[in-house]
Amino acid sequence: MSRPTAAVLAGLGAYLPPDVVTNEDLSRRLDTSDKWIRTRTGIASRHVVSPGTATSDLAVEAGWRALKSAGQDRADAVVLATTTPDQPCPATAPQVAARLGLGQVPAFDVAAVCSGFLYGLATASGLIAAGIAQRVLLVAADAFTTIIDPADRTTAVIFADGAGAVVLRAGDPDEPGALGPQLLGSDGELSELIQVPGGGSRQRSSGRPADPADQYFTMAGRDTYRHAVEQMTATSTQAVRAAGWNLDQVDRFAAHQANARILDSVADRLGIAEERRLSNIEHVGNTGAASIPVLLCQAAAEGTLRPGHRVLLTAFGGGLAWGATTLVWPEVAAG
Amino acid sequence: MLLDQFRDILVDTLKIDRSTITPEATREDIELDSLAVVELSLLLKAEFDLDVSDDELLEAATVADMVALLEKRSATV
Repeated sequence: MSRPTAAVLAGLGAYLPPDVVTNEDLSRRLDTSDKWIRTRTGIASRHVVSPGTATSDLAVEAGWRALKSAGQDRADAVVLATTTPDQPCPATAPQVAARLGLGQVPAFDVAAVCSGFLYGLATASGLIAAGIAQRVLLVAADAFTTIIDPADRTTAVIFADGAGAVVLRAGDPDEPGALGPQLLGSDGELSELIQVPGGGSRQRSSGRPADPADQYFTMAGRDTYRHAVEQMTATSTQAVRAAGWNLDQVDRFAAHQANARILDSVADRLGIAEERRLSNIEHVGNTGAASIPVLLCQAAAEGTLRPGHRVLLTAFGGGLAWGATTLVWPEVAAG
Repeated sequence: MLLDQFRDILVDTLKIDRSTITPEATREDIELDSLAVVELSLLLKAEFDLDVSDDELLEAATVADMVALLEKRSATV
């Protein structure tokens, strides 16, 4: 009997747009302060797109770096996880594939907001397991600030832009880099907690123009916080157990960089000590789907994430949608 | 729940400055913001199996009011 095929991490890359917005910059146009933002979110600065830059521009940069890291110039499929596609139709992934010179490969978008990277991993694993692709380029990219109300001090201080990408190849479930069991969940009864109310078929079919306020992202902070802590704790625990590990065997905890306080609360509940938590939120902010691959890429480049480390990934966001998975970090060059 | 026990939770887990926590102190006095109130609600459930929502805690004007709420709730379980 042939062995099951696993998706194995073979390359990774990240790209952050060069423009940086500091807390001081935000304090000049919003009723907020550096201390207020740091205390509540752990964020000091964030990267944002310049006028005219689209999600695909970020995605192409990160995708190119991931392919280079994998030593490849080909991929059999491209999956793009994003909440901020270049336009409502068509999907952005085909343009990313074309601009990367990958030809007429299957390419499509996955929409799972801040859990997009984990949903993308599951999608890419499925393409590999079904024999549709031997090598998948998964890009998670968001120009998240493009849906943020610049006057909303509760969200404008948190969200940022960026892209991270991984190359996954068909491989052996026991080799380093092979993704462990992947746990995903959603709760559409709570979809209103995190949303952009207007711009979709609900509003368009009403025959009424979109209320300007409804084109922006809204988040019910307290409820989101509670569900994020509860779901990331529960799903992380399940993913670690499904991998046959104990929580104390997790060497590195790589969670969606939503808010430093949520991350601390989840890690405290899981009993994961501070030195085992990866974090880049202070200078990157919350980059939506891009958050986890950007974090992994930076940590690998800095050496805080090293081959052999047992890594736990988890995310939570709009949908609601959440997930977690595990892998043993492979020998891979961070691009 | 006694004030001392409640104070320990605030200090040890929510990193509130111990010297600010007096019975008559308000949420603003101890800098317990809305997210910290959610965290407190989750902690009370996890550690003491007390069902107190963040909304109820937000309605309590002072530390003494919060303790009274918790005592009332623990007496009914």
